[in-house]
Amino acid sequence: MSKVNPPRPAAKRGEPADAGRRSFFSWMSLAWVSFTASMLAAGTATARFMFPNVLFEPPLTFRAGRPEELQVGIVDERFKDSNQVWLVRDGGGIYALSTTCTHLGCTPNWLSAEQKFKCPCHGSGFYITGINFEGPAPRPLERFAIDLADDGQLVIDKGRKFQQEKGQWELPGAYLEF
Amino acid sequence: METIKDIINTLTAPEILITLAAILLFVSARYRHLFYTNKVALILFPAMFVFMAISMFDEDFYLIVTKPDNVPIVGMLFLIPFFTWLSMREAVRNDKRTEEGAPLIEKEETADKVLTWPDLVYTELIAIVLLTVLLVGWSILIPAPLEESANPAATPNPSKAPWYFLGLQEMLVYFDPWLAGVVFPGLIIVGLMAIPYIDTNPKGNGYYTFKERSWEIMTFLFGFLILWVLLVILGTFLRGPNWNFFGPYEYWDTHKLEALVNVDLSDYFWVRLLGMGRPDNILVRESVGFLVVLGYFLVPPMLLAKTIFKRFYENLGPARYHIMVFLLLCMASLPIKMVLRWLFNLKYIIGIPEYFFNI
Amino acid sequence: MSQLKDLLSNLSPAKLGEAIQKSQIYRSVFRVGVPVSDRKRMLVMLGNVFLHLHPVKVRKSGIRLRFTWCMGGITFFLFLVLTFTGLLLMFYYRPTIEYAYVDIIDLREQVPLGIMREIHRWGAHAMVISVWLHMFRVFMTGSYKPPREFNWGVGVILLVLTLLLSFTGYLLPWDQLAMWAITVGSNMARATPFAGYEGPGANLLTLGENIPLISSTSDARFALLGGTRVGEMALLRFYVLHCVGLPLVAGFLMAVHFWRIRRDGGISGPL
Repeated sequence: MSKVNPPRPAAKRGEPADAGRRSFFSWMSLAWVSFTASMLAAGTATARFMFPNVLFEPPLTFRAGRPEELQVGIVDERFKDSNQVWLVRDGGGIYALSTTCTHLGCTPNWLSAEQKFKCPCHGSGFYITGINFEGPAPRPLERFAIDLADDGQLVIDKGRKFQQEKGQWELPGAYLEF
Repeated sequence: METIKDIINTLTAPEILITLAAILLFVSARYRHLFYTNKVALILFPAMFVFMAISMFDEDFYLIVTKPDNVPIVGMLFLIPFFTWLSMREAVRNDKRTEEGAPLIEKEETADKVLTWPDLVYTELIAIVLLTVLLVGWSILIPAPLEESANPAATPNPSKAPWYFLGLQEMLVYFDPWLAGVVFPGLIIVGLMAIPYIDTNPKGNGYYTFKERSWEIMTFLFGFLILWVLLVILGTFLRGPNWNFFGPYEYWDTHKLEALVNVDLSDYFWVRLLGMGRPDNILVRESVGFLVVLGYFLVPPMLLAKTIFKRFYENLGPARYHIMVFLLLCMASLPIKMVLRWLFNLKYIIGIPEYFFNI
Repeated sequence: MSQLKDLLSNLSPAKLGEAIQKSQIYRSVFRVGVPVSDRKRMLVMLGNVFLHLHPVKVRKSGIRLRFTWCMGGITFFLFLVLTFTGLLLMFYYRPTIEYAYVDIIDLREQVPLGIMREIHRWGAHAMVISVWLHMFRVFMTGSYKPPREFNWGVGVILLVLTLLLSFTGYLLPWDQLAMWAITVGSNMARATPFAGYEGPGANLLTLGENIPLISSTSDARFALLGGTRVGEMALLRFYVLHCVGLPLVAGFLMAVHFWRIRRDGGISGPL
């Protein structure tokens, strides 16, 4: 039956309490940091969920017939619908133009009478080379990689693009000398 | 008749239409006592209606107005001016009462509290019934728009965004997609949400008035009516194949040719002014453009703070003031770029297509 | 004979109504009964969960038609109409490239009461206009000023949600109008600064020397469409957003919007 509860020295009482609060705060901050980090990770993972890995779209590489089928100065529109590509043969060779307008992605029409591609959405105009000359389009049409396969057919690879404003039309693959 | 049509076709060209509408807005606000009255409305709105009715005899006008997807915009053509007129009429009346020392229209009845049942509940019921009748009638009379099945290969000419985004699409004529389609819409949303925090004017809270907050109202009306609603109407009715302009009585000719040869500021400066070629280094080439854009956002806030916006600067404090001026400058950049395009065929102030950075 | 006469006289509409109102079922549903006295009119507003959106009494000036234009209420009603008709449309519509367009035609040609889609479409257009007019009225009466700043912000987000709801719905008929409006609209995402592969700054973000971080298969537009073009995945994504995602967010914010009207001083009027 101890009737006396001897008062502990004040210094000793303060010390452990302070340390407790300090460790409590460091635990709290650790908890908050890990909570925030895990929320960020969950957010990133959910965002990643929205980017599919497999696409149900036509393949990027396709064969486009024999180069002799193309006539000089005529825009070949056979692959416009199926593959979004125009084939153009000029004096020196062949190039594959993307049918996607560089403004907002509409499909321009080839107006042979006026010798230009004209976009119906916002009126951008491109020469037969793909260079933009009127309307809001900020840059020329893109070209796709073009090559000859072993069987003598043209092969277009839409996975490789060439942009004129970056000087890429001079690179090998942008133009097939023929 | 043909002459009148020709005149209207000319007057509705974007540069003239937008300028005239802006002038009408400011003049009508200046002389609001004369303009926003019952008499004017009794003449104006029937006149608009008669004008529409007569115009329906024109084949091209009929075609564009009765296009199913355009029906709501025809309604808007009447609704928005009507409600603008109504709110301004109330504002003019209230201002007059304040001048005479009489209480506001709203204040006369503020003390009067009525029971929600039946006063409000029945108003709502009537509104619901009328709206239902309207909606069902509308749906029976006009089939919803449906065109041919989607075909990724055939772009229709013209291709238009949904009508409520046509203001943005019209903006695309003057700005690149990253500005007109992403940055500006974002700024519109942020700017709208910022209004209550920027506008610290304590007056005009909960009642119609023009005089006590004329600056706020004019800014909002200019943004909403001219830079949004008018551009929607313009994009709907007056933009045809190839996004060319067509007057309301003009045939939508796919082969209409319009010279759209636009020149960059760097061309103006290096080639036309200095008579030399454009420098190869991008930063040197566009240095003029960068200076212009930086100057546009840095100089006016300081100048205005000392001159006509002095009152704002003192009342709002630096943070609010600079946010307000920044938003206003962004808003003003659209009409400014429009005028530059109309007058000088200016395409880009800064044009770096290599990095998709065009202003 | 006289008993039958008594019975018949008891069957008069007035007496029948009285009997119904006295029945246990009626009184369990409508606690207050017919609101004929002012006291009952107040109680009915308090006792009904839907009517409870409103206060018991309102300012006379605040509900004048020339003051409020009724546009907020009309917008809410149109939202309800669109929810209801949209739910009905979902019974027939299949969001695949193969069926979407055919189902839309069937909704007009084959399905009974072939105006359900019309009501949905026109109602959506009307809602866009009524939201604009509601915002216009709130601005012109200065009703965004304190204490209603926050609710104005909620309203702006609801305006954006209305436009997005309408935009996502635009694709679902899978006709030329839909396809190209969404192509033009979604291509703007391609130009998002840093996050779109044709946006300014996007080609500064690379892994190592020359592997681009942002390409046409990893940018904002790709996430929106679930592909590089407006196709099957885009249709499905827009369908899910249109029918579930956006309406949920809009409904949640509407609850906040209505609650704050009550909290922030009721329908607006001069202070």
